[in-house]
Amino acid sequence: MARRTLVIDLDRCSGCDSCIVACKFENNIDLGNYWCRVVGVGPTGEYPNTEMYWLPVNCQQCENSPCIGVCPTGASYRDPDNNVVLIDKDKCIGCQYCIYACPYGVRQYNVAQGVVEKCTLCNHLTSQSDGNENWEDSYDPYHAVPPCVHNCSCKARYFGDLDDPDSAASKAVREAGGLDSKKVHSLDDRSDAKPSTLYILSPEIATWKGLAQ
Amino acid sequence: MQATQVRQEEQARQAHITRRSFVQLAAAAGAVTALSTGVAASFKKQPQAWADTAPERRVYTSSCHSCIKACPCRIYVEDGVVVKIEGHPLGPTNQGSMCLKGLNEIHAVYSPRRVLYPLKRVGTRGAENASWERISWDDALELAGSKIAEAIEKYGTYAFITSTGGGGLYTGMEANSANLALGSPNSFEPGGPQCWMPRYEVSRYMYGGASQSMADEDVVEPFKGLSQFEAAKGLVNETRCLVLWGAQPSVSQTAESGRGMADLRARGVKTVVIDPNLSPDAAKATLWLRIRPGSDGAMMLTWFRYIFENELYDEEFVKYWTNLPFIIDPDTNLPFFAEDVFADYVRSTPEDTPAYVCFDAQTNSLQPFEYSAALDAKVDPEVFWSGEVNGKDAFTAGQLYQQTANPWTLEAAEEVCWVPAALIEAGIRLYARGDLPSGKEDADWKPDPNSYVAGIVHGVATDMQQNSSQAVLGAVGLDMIMGYINKPGVTLTQNYNAVFSLPPGTPVTRPVTMFNNFGGALCEIYGLGYVVGATREANEARIASLPSPPPMVPSFPGSQGMLYIMNQMWLDRLGMKNYKGSNGWVFCHIPSALQAITTGVPYKPRVLYDMSGNKLAMIGNAAGWHEAFNELDFIIGSHPIMTSFHVEHVDLMLPLEEWVEYPDISTINSLRQMNYNFGRIPVIHLGETVSSSVAPTKIVNAASAKLNEYMESGEQIVLGAIGAVTGTNSEDSVAAEESGNSNGASVLHDCDQSRFTLHFPLGIGVMNGEQEDSTEAQALTDYYATQCDAEIGSLHFSELFENYDEWREKMDAGVANDKGWCEVPPDLFWQYDQHLQMATDGLPAGFGTESRKCEVYCSLLVKMAADGFPYYYPRTQETVDASIGLEIKAIQPEYRFAGGYSPICQHIEPSESPLETYPGYNAEYPLVLTSGRVNYFHHGTARHLPFARELYPAPEVRMHPATAANYGLEHLDWVEVSSVRGSTRGQVVLNQGMDERVIWMERFWFPEAFDDSQKTKTGGWRECNVNLLTKGTAPFNEVFGSMTYRGFAVKIAKSTKPDNIWVEPEEFRPFMPSQTNVYTPDIGTTIGSEVTPMITFTDWDPNASAAGH
Repeated sequence: MARRTLVIDLDRCSGCDSCIVACKFENNIDLGNYWCRVVGVGPTGEYPNTEMYWLPVNCQQCENSPCIGVCPTGASYRDPDNNVVLIDKDKCIGCQYCIYACPYGVRQYNVAQGVVEKCTLCNHLTSQSDGNENWEDSYDPYHAVPPCVHNCSCKARYFGDLDDPDSAASKAVREAGGLDSKKVHSLDDRSDAKPSTLYILSPEIATWKGLAQ
Repeated sequence: MQATQVRQEEQARQAHITRRSFVQLAAAAGAVTALSTGVAASFKKQPQAWADTAPERRVYTSSCHSCIKACPCRIYVEDGVVVKIEGHPLGPTNQGSMCLKGLNEIHAVYSPRRVLYPLKRVGTRGAENASWERISWDDALELAGSKIAEAIEKYGTYAFITSTGGGGLYTGMEANSANLALGSPNSFEPGGPQCWMPRYEVSRYMYGGASQSMADEDVVEPFKGLSQFEAAKGLVNETRCLVLWGAQPSVSQTAESGRGMADLRARGVKTVVIDPNLSPDAAKATLWLRIRPGSDGAMMLTWFRYIFENELYDEEFVKYWTNLPFIIDPDTNLPFFAEDVFADYVRSTPEDTPAYVCFDAQTNSLQPFEYSAALDAKVDPEVFWSGEVNGKDAFTAGQLYQQTANPWTLEAAEEVCWVPAALIEAGIRLYARGDLPSGKEDADWKPDPNSYVAGIVHGVATDMQQNSSQAVLGAVGLDMIMGYINKPGVTLTQNYNAVFSLPPGTPVTRPVTMFNNFGGALCEIYGLGYVVGATREANEARIASLPSPPPMVPSFPGSQGMLYIMNQMWLDRLGMKNYKGSNGWVFCHIPSALQAITTGVPYKPRVLYDMSGNKLAMIGNAAGWHEAFNELDFIIGSHPIMTSFHVEHVDLMLPLEEWVEYPDISTINSLRQMNYNFGRIPVIHLGETVSSSVAPTKIVNAASAKLNEYMESGEQIVLGAIGAVTGTNSEDSVAAEESGNSNGASVLHDCDQSRFTLHFPLGIGVMNGEQEDSTEAQALTDYYATQCDAEIGSLHFSELFENYDEWREKMDAGVANDKGWCEVPPDLFWQYDQHLQMATDGLPAGFGTESRKCEVYCSLLVKMAADGFPYYYPRTQETVDASIGLEIKAIQPEYRFAGGYSPICQHIEPSESPLETYPGYNAEYPLVLTSGRVNYFHHGTARHLPFARELYPAPEVRMHPATAANYGLEHLDWVEVSSVRGSTRGQVVLNQGMDERVIWMERFWFPEAFDDSQKTKTGGWRECNVNLLTKGTAPFNEVFGSMTYRGFAVKIAKSTKPDNIWVEPEEFRPFMPSQTNVYTPDIGTTIGSEVTPMITFTDWDPNASAAGH
C-alpha cells in the first residue's frame, strides 16, 4: 500500500512562504484559502538560548484518515491507484464534518463552490511520480513533483511514496537517519490518525515541539 | 445553541484569521481553517477566443527580476497567457528554487493596477483627487521634452534632475546617465549611499576587488560547486565558515543565496550571524551575536583587538601584502615614501610599485620597504611600531589600528554591543581559528589550522548607519589581516568578469582600478578620474591624449571638451564637497538635493524624471521629500504601477513593462548568477508599455531635440545654473543651517563655457538605454556575444543565436528551452591568488591599489577628503569641511582624522544613542529601532500583489514580549512608533528573540489607500511608513553622506488600525487580475474575464516600435 506524502526538512526551511504561493498558483486557490501553511514555532527561550523553526503544514496524508470516515457521501476518498487522500468535489455536499474531524486543520471550505478543499499532493501532476525530478521536464509524469517542492527556496521539501525506498521522500528520511532517528518527527497523533508526513529537525537547530509554540 | 449556529460563528471567526494569527491559534487550538468567499480568479480559464482549442504551451528560459538576484527560471505560456513560472534547475545557485516574489510575477504583469498607456495628470497634484487622461506616446514625449527643455533654456542644465530605485524595475546606469546626457550633475536613489555603495566603493579603494555583499552577486565563491551540475564538472566547494554581518540571505535573496546558505549549512559549514534580528539564518547559525543596532564599529574593533592581541592574524600576509607595516607621516596621515626619508634612496622596482618605509626587525632600523614577493623581501617589517621619523613622532599603520582598537576589550564590547563577552570571543575564534564553542561540537569538523579560511559576508545594515564607510573598512580589513582573500572558500575574491577583466591569454600586468560608475565605466569613456595603480605620468599622458579641439560631434565622449563638462558636473554635484565617495555611483547627496530644491541653494533643480518605484516610502525623511516634490515644476515618472509617489506628485506617467515583457541589458548583476547568464526574454507584451531602459532614452532624446533646436535658432543653452552665484556654499543659507540637511556640502563652481560646445544628448547619452525594445533586444544579443566572446572558447550566445530574431524564433519553437544561457567557463571564472601571479616585469601582480598591497589603512580616503582623488582628476575638489568628524573627536579626543575621512574602522556612537552617557541620549525615546526586508517584497514592490499582501498585510513591529507588556501591547495590536521626526503605525508581532530595548519595523506603503472604494483617498505612505521616522539629517556618513535608516531612537504607544489599510484576505480582491484595469477600464487587460486580453505577444513585431506610435 502506497504512502505518498511530503517529507519536510526543518533544518533547511526558512519560513519564506514560497510553498504557499506556489500552491496557490498551481491549484488556483482563492484569497484567504491555503492548502499549505507555514507556522513559525517560536522563538522560545531567552537569548542566547533562543530557538525557532518554521513548520509547513498541509494534508498529512494520514493512514487512518479520520476525514474519510466521517464523510457521509464518500467525497473524501483515497485514489484507488495510489492511495492519496483526495476530495471528489462533485460528491461533496459541504457539510464540513471532515473539517472538524481533521486533527491538523488542513481542510478548508470553499464558499464559492460550497465544497471542502485541501492539498492533493498535486495528484494531477504527480499521481505516478517517484518524486525524483527530471530537470529537463517538470511535467514528466513519472518524476513530476508538486510546485511547492520544485520551487521550495531552501530545498526543504521532498515528495514521494514512503513505501518506495527509491522515492525522493524515502531517500530524505534515510539520509536523516531513518524513521527511528531523533531527527525525524511527525505531528502529534492524539487521535491515532497516523499522519504520513514526516519532518526532519535536528536538536542542534531546535527542540521539536510539533505545532506548539 | 444549534450546531449550525456554532459552526457559522466559528466560520465567521475564522474568516478573520491571517497567517500570523494562525500561528497563535494553531498553538492554542491545534486545528485551524480559514473561510473564503468569492470566486477564484482563474488563470487557466482561457479567453473566449481560444476556449475551444487545446492550449498551445510554450516554455521559455529566462531570468527572474522580482529582486536583483536574477534567478534563472522557466516561464510557461499557454495561448499567449503566462500560466506558470518556476525556478530553473540549472541555475547554479537557486538550482530550481523560486521564491514567492518571483512566482507572484503572474499577478504583477496582469495586475488591474498596471499602467499600460501614457497618462497625463488632470487637475492638481495630490492623491485625494488624482485623475488621469490617457495620451499617446507622441504627445507624452512632446510634453516631457518641452518641460525639460523649457526649464533648461530658462534656468540652465542644472534645472534637471533624475532619480531611480525603490525596488523592482532596475534602471541602473540609465538613471545616473540620463541627467548627464542633458548636462545635469544630479541623480539619486534611496539606496546608493544607504545600500551597497559604501561596500562596493570602499572594497575597491582597499584592494580593487569585489565587495563582501552576497546580495549583490559580489560574494559567489561560497556557492561554488553546490549544484549537482556544477559538482559534476569537478568544482569543489571549500567554504568552511561564514560570518553573516548584518545580512539575512534567507529573507532578502530567498531562493538564491538563501538556498545557497541552506545547502552550506547542510554540508556542515559553520556560521556566525551578527544581527539584532532573529533571521532564519540567525536561528540556524552556529553562533548568533545579537548586536545592538549601530554598534557594529565597536564589535569590529573588538575583533581586531582580539586578533592582534592573540596573534591570530596571518603574519606573512599582513607583513608583505597589507600596508599595516608602513610608517605613517603624522602630518599628512599618509605613509612615508622611501624617498621622503632616505635622501639618496633610488628605487630598484618599476615606476608603478612605490617603495615605503618600515621598521625592519632584522636590522632594528628604519628601512626602505620595496615592493616584492614575500620571499624576496629585503626587510622583516614590524607591524606594530612607533618612533621618530624625520623628526616627527611617527607610527606604523598597524600601530594606529591597534591603538584605535585597544579600548575594545570583550568586556567593553559587551557593554556597548549588548552581546555577552563569551559569545563574542567564541565568534572571533570560530572565524579566526575554526574553534567550535562548547556545546557545538562536531565530530566531522577538523579544520587544518594551516589552511583554514573563513569569510565575512557584509550585509546592508551598516550602509544605513552613520559609520557606513568605517564599517566596511573594518569588515574588509578583518578578512585582509586574516589573509582570507583570493583563496577558495573566502568571500573577498576577484572572479573573472568578461566585461571588466582582461581577455584570457593577455600577459599578466599589474592591475589598476578605475572609478566613476561601476567598474570605472565613465573613467573609461570620458577619461574622468585618476586610474589608481597607474603612474602619475601614465595618468597625465592618458588625459593629454584625448583629442582637442573636439572632433566633429561637439560633445564627443573622450574629448577634452566632454571631459571638462563631466569634470564640471562632478564639481557642482549636490553635496559633493563633503560626501565625495558618492561620486563613485554618480549620485548626488540626497539631503543636499532636498535642500537645493527647497531653498535654491546653491541652485534649484526644477524638473524631475524618476525611473522607478515609490520615492515616498523607500527614502529617508519621506515627509521632507513630499514637500520638496511639491516644489518642483514638473515631474515625469515611469513605472509599471502607480505608487504613493506617482499619485501624489507625478504629472506625466509613462508605462513600463514587467520583467516577463522586457529584454534586459540594463545592469550586469541583474542578469548574472555566478558565471551564468540566462538572459531575460520577453514572452508577452501588454498595452503600450516599454522597458525601463527605453523610456529614459526616449525622454532624453525628445528633450535633446528641442534643446538642439533652441541652439540652432541662435539661443544659448547654459551648462550650469543661470542666475546662481558661483562659490555659493549652502552654509550661507539660514534655512539650510537650521534644517541640518546638507551640512554645507554643496558648492557651485565657475565654469568656462568656451571650453566646450554643447550638443545634446551629451557624450554617450543614456548608458545602456535603447530607443526601442526591438533594438534593446538586439543589443542584448550583442551583449551576450561580447560577454561570452568566442575567444573565451565558451558556449556563447553568438554561437547559439545570430541575432535577436533568431533567438526569439528558437525560443518560440521550443528549440532553446533549457539551452538559452551562456556560461563563462569555470576554469576562467574561478580565479585565485591573482596577486601572486608574476607580471611581465618579474614581480608579482599585486593588487589594484597605489601601494600594490591590501590597504587595510585606506590611504585613498585620506587623499579623497583633501582634493577629491581619484574621482575628480584631472581637476580637484575643495577639501571637506573642518567640521567633518568632529563629533567623533568629541568622544575620542585622540581621534586624528577630523576634517577628513578616517582610513580605518571606527566606532561612531549613533547620534541618537540609547546609552545614557552619550550626548544624543533622549529619555523620551528609549527604544532603538532597526529594520530589514521581509520575504514578500523587494523594497517598495509588490504591495499591490494579493498573494503577498494576504500573507503580510501590514508592517510588523517586532518586539520582545516584555517590551510589549511594558506598553500594554499584545500580539497583533496596532502600535504607534515615533521618533523625534514623526510617527507612524504598525502591527505588534511578539518575538522573544528581540532584545527588550530594540524593536524592528519594516518599510511599508499600501496602494489600497487610493482605491476608488476609499472615502478619502491618500497616497498610502504616511500611515505605516518607517521612513517618516528615519533620519535624513546630519550627521551623515563622512564619505558617502549615508543617512541613518537604522539604529535611531523611538518610542511606542498602543494605537489603532488605520481605517484605509486592508488586512483581510478578501479585501485584496480588487488587486486580483480578474478585475478590470483601473486606469483604462475600457480596454481589456484581464485574464479570465470576458474582455479580450490585451496581449500582443503573438502579433508583436520586435522590429516595429514597441511603443505603438
